[in-house]
Amino acid sequence: MTKPRVAFFDFSSCEGCQLQVVNLEEALLDVLALVDIVEFREAMKESSTEYDIAIIEGSITRPIDVERIKKIRERASILIAMGACAHLGGVQRMSNQWTGEENKAEVYKRHPGSETTKGDSNPYFAQPRHRAVDEIVKVDATIPGCPIDTAEFGRVLVALLQGKKLPIPDYPVCVECKKNENICVFETGGFCMGPIARAGCGAPCPTHGGECEACRGYVDHPHTQAHNEVLKKYGLTPEQIMNRKTMYTYRYVEEAKGGE
Amino acid sequence: MKILSKDNFHAFVDTLIQEGSMNIEGVKAKGEKFVFGPLDSAKELRLDYDVTILSPKKYFLPQFETMMAFDSTGVKKPAPAKKKVIIGVHPYDIMAIMQMDKYFFDTNVDDAYLEKRKNATIIGLIPKNVSEKAFFGNMSQLFDSQPELAYDLMLADLGDKFAVMVGSERGKALLEKAQNVAEATPEEAQKVQQLQKDVQQKATRNLKASPRGWHDLLAANYSSPVWKEQGDKCLGCGTCTLVCPTCFCYDVKDEVNLDLTSGARIRTWDGCLLRDFTKVAPGEIFREKIEDRYRHRFNRKGQYLPEMLGFVACVGCGRCSSQCIPDIADPVELFNKLAEGGMVPEGPAFELPIKADLAAIPDTTNLYIPRSATLKRVEKVTKTETFFEIQLDDGQPLGHQPGQFVEVSIMGIGEAPISVSSAPGGNTFEMVVRNVGDVTSKLHGLKAGDKIGIRGPFGTGFDFEALKGKNLLFVAGGLGIVPMRSLINQVLNNRADYGKVQILYGCKEPCELLFADEIKSWPDKGAEHLLTVDKCPEGECWEGNIGVVGTLVPKVQFVPQDTMAIVVGPPIFYRFVIADLKKIGVPEENIIVSLERRMKCGVGKCGHCQMNGIYVCKEGPVFNLADLKDIPEAF
Repeated sequence: MTKPRVAFFDFSSCEGCQLQVVNLEEALLDVLALVDIVEFREAMKESSTEYDIAIIEGSITRPIDVERIKKIRERASILIAMGACAHLGGVQRMSNQWTGEENKAEVYKRHPGSETTKGDSNPYFAQPRHRAVDEIVKVDATIPGCPIDTAEFGRVLVALLQGKKLPIPDYPVCVECKKNENICVFETGGFCMGPIARAGCGAPCPTHGGECEACRGYVDHPHTQAHNEVLKKYGLTPEQIMNRKTMYTYRYVEEAKGGE
Repeated sequence: MKILSKDNFHAFVDTLIQEGSMNIEGVKAKGEKFVFGPLDSAKELRLDYDVTILSPKKYFLPQFETMMAFDSTGVKKPAPAKKKVIIGVHPYDIMAIMQMDKYFFDTNVDDAYLEKRKNATIIGLIPKNVSEKAFFGNMSQLFDSQPELAYDLMLADLGDKFAVMVGSERGKALLEKAQNVAEATPEEAQKVQQLQKDVQQKATRNLKASPRGWHDLLAANYSSPVWKEQGDKCLGCGTCTLVCPTCFCYDVKDEVNLDLTSGARIRTWDGCLLRDFTKVAPGEIFREKIEDRYRHRFNRKGQYLPEMLGFVACVGCGRCSSQCIPDIADPVELFNKLAEGGMVPEGPAFELPIKADLAAIPDTTNLYIPRSATLKRVEKVTKTETFFEIQLDDGQPLGHQPGQFVEVSIMGIGEAPISVSSAPGGNTFEMVVRNVGDVTSKLHGLKAGDKIGIRGPFGTGFDFEALKGKNLLFVAGGLGIVPMRSLINQVLNNRADYGKVQILYGCKEPCELLFADEIKSWPDKGAEHLLTVDKCPEGECWEGNIGVVGTLVPKVQFVPQDTMAIVVGPPIFYRFVIADLKKIGVPEENIIVSLERRMKCGVGKCGHCQMNGIYVCKEGPVFNLADLKDIPEAF
């Protein structure tokens, strides 16, 4: 059996998900026994236009990104969206809610005394629209998370090669939090997206004293109303609730608006 | 009753830890809460705790548990874990363990659970502090006297010393490792009694509906608006079931290593509040509405398990209440809400639970490891269905009844419940499988000579003895013909034993018709039949009826009161066909159906196939319609 050829491509992102793949370390050798990696900018200098599986990191932002992702799609038989940027549009997507001028002011003119005109020459502020990969081209598999979970990367790869359904759960992070015997974030005075966020990560953030920010997106049928009531009960204002929902998941806010 | 100073008790625990032959687990602090965990020193023990985040259930049914490991050489059970001592288990959690014993030892002994139970020594503790939401004091009203609890040793805190009660030979032997054990004085025994009384008092809340009446209260309130009101607030996060010491449902998943050949079959906690709990491979979800799932949890605890096993599956620990963020999981508040309707039933006392005699339960059972089998014949019969003839490698016949099913196992992929399609007898058996999920899709790629795993046969099939002498009307929709064929062939092989045999069979399109060659032989074997398709696309050839299966019913002559109708098809099909049959006067008790549910374990443990109080994998999949009258979740 010839090994499938895999290529990694990055778009608007921090490249942290690719770094997670490099972080597989010894397990990366097992991965290399299963597939041939033909392009992986973060780990090798070779590149290729011939591949079977394209793994995409990053959101699609500029017109040239759209052209590039379409070309990659044409060449790949399987296209995987890897990480929150490719899956949802990333944290950068929250800038979609403001105009180009507002974003520019936020970045370059926010702090009195250190305003600069640097941003004025940047054409992309005019139309900052970050999108997920599946809003541009067909995506065959998604590995959610910011960053991705290395174990899940392995599970997805195995499932694809075995022809199984993707092992991405459709239950909330609370399930994994409880199995870890954590004290609920709400009980410690925090606020958590866990009750509507998709599990599969093993709840590392609440387990290590953080809050779930729903970087993996929501479950298929989130109980958003009940969750909003809980956030309210624990003291968040409607504005603060909205801030929670724009960090990683502004995509859903846009989709809900579009659906109105 | 013995007495041990606290210093000597700590020395005793430290001795056990230092010996190293057993894992010593006990209650420790985690932030401002408490958990059971491994002890490095007796100093870590927090025997003043009120309640732990998770119950000791995790020691017997762990969050994640390797049921078997597999590689290219075969399948292996994991080696038994090291023996454990668990220190500080409160009586309500011991009661929960006794309920688990009953559940996992009932009918089919769960060997994975049994091994862990046999390996653990339980040191109980009468609580001093009680959590705000606990109501185990109320739950003791279930019985007329105190049940005998399944502990090895039980501690009671008397200030600078512990009173120690011995509950088993194993406990007695363990206590021999302690130094300076004295006999308790009558005053000390008196103090322990007072402590027990005080704690019952502290753990009694304002519960208006006695737990003895929960069963009837739930039965009367099945359609109460309370379920929707509460369900609207529910996050569907599963917390209440996960933290519950008497929620036993689990899922099983295969995890495969990057070599694509080795891996493990893992059992992990699941919960009926989660949306995909009842989801089957074709995508159907049988309890989709959150209010139905919310109700199911209470019904299972207060109505279904009491009917099945004789206990209310709640011990009053209060974990669900204190960990539910929208604050809707509290049984006290829920039952008080239901009691507001004015009905406060008071049932008889429950039978005292019995301590399981662990030593008497043989650990020779093997509930989950599949038997190896070989595919003898593989034939693709339609675009989506393939026929398989299978032989068990141990040479034994399957020994099934018509209508039963097996769990087909492919290591690394998983298990799927599949109906047996051949009549009983013979050294091989047959299945026809639609390609809908991971296991079935893999199965479709296999060829004669390939190996699979089989567990079963499982469930209750068609009672072909009881059908003898009767007129039979078979009504099959789509894949319903597959399990039905096992009965049809049994009847036709013994044709003289039965009255009139009429078979109505319909599928969507002519290309989906199964067993076409066999159908041709039915007239010679003494069966009348009519076929139908929902539609016949252009270019395909079809001589039979066009329309849904129900349209065939008026076309055959039979006496409704004098005919047994055997009806098998997809969920939507039942609603129509059953209504058609009832309309022309077929009595309910003359209608037999076979239902599809998520039969994950096949042995009545995992909970996924439950509809109301019935485990379809055990009591079904074949049912007499009259027995489903009070099972609204059936259709």
